[in-house]
Amino acid sequence: MVKVYSIPDCPWCHKVKKYLQARGVAYQEFNVEEDDAARDELYKIAGDLTVPVTTIDGINYVLSFDKAKLDALLGLA
Amino acid sequence: MSVYDFTAKTIRGEEKSLGEYKGKVLLVVNTASKCGFTPQYEELQALYLKYKEQGLVILGFPSNQFAEQEPGTNEEVQQFCKVNFGVTFPLFAKGDVRGDTAQPLFKYLTEKLAFKGFDESHPVAKPLQEALQSKFPAYLEGDSIKWNFTKFLVNREGEAVGRYEPTTLPSQMAGDIERLLS
Repeated sequence: MVKVYSIPDCPWCHKVKKYLQARGVAYQEFNVEEDDAARDELYKIAGDLTVPVTTIDGINYVLSFDKAKLDALLGLA
Repeated sequence: MSVYDFTAKTIRGEEKSLGEYKGKVLLVVNTASKCGFTPQYEELQALYLKYKEQGLVILGFPSNQFAEQEPGTNEEVQQFCKVNFGVTFPLFAKGDVRGDTAQPLFKYLTEKLAFKGFDESHPVAKPLQEALQSKFPAYLEGDSIKWNFTKFLVNREGEAVGRYEPTTLPSQMAGDIERLLS
């Protein structure tokens, strides 16, 4: 399952979600300002509390809205 | 009347009485609510880490009343956001800090401490003044909050004793903070 770690009022988080929706990719969103467990996960994955972070396996991740990297991560054309 | 008479909603949605901060030196600041404007946040966090053991608490109040622009700065826009703006001091819920809808705490602070103009020696003073004059001339009137990062110092008895416009950097407040902490 694709996971997107985000916070409200974050324009790049918004772009990532719109892009995933446009490409028909299902994802689970975690608001790390409210969800302490998700915040800890984010820190473990990315080593910092910055968003948006998109990941599938919790090891490889994409920070910010980077279409090329997202395509590579998610196996999109 | 003192700041201890006010309550505010935290970023987590809990009502908090400012009376909980009795005995602390408070730096109250209205902050930008969208991410991406980090220089003053970083300075505030540095101040917090330096003085918190001595009793400084910084209270951040995000607001989106100021068009989310930082006039006069040419910083590259970072393409990500930091959780809680990258700070560990208390943050409150997004709300208004100027005008009729301003939170009571900010109505009180701006009534108590007048606006005395921007620090002309700061590089952002001129672009800020011009931006306000052209886009939000009403903001320049009276003692209201003019832009993001207006700061107030409150002594250990809850009295608001200092006001600093956005043009005063947090690091420039160290001397006054140390005096209040001693």
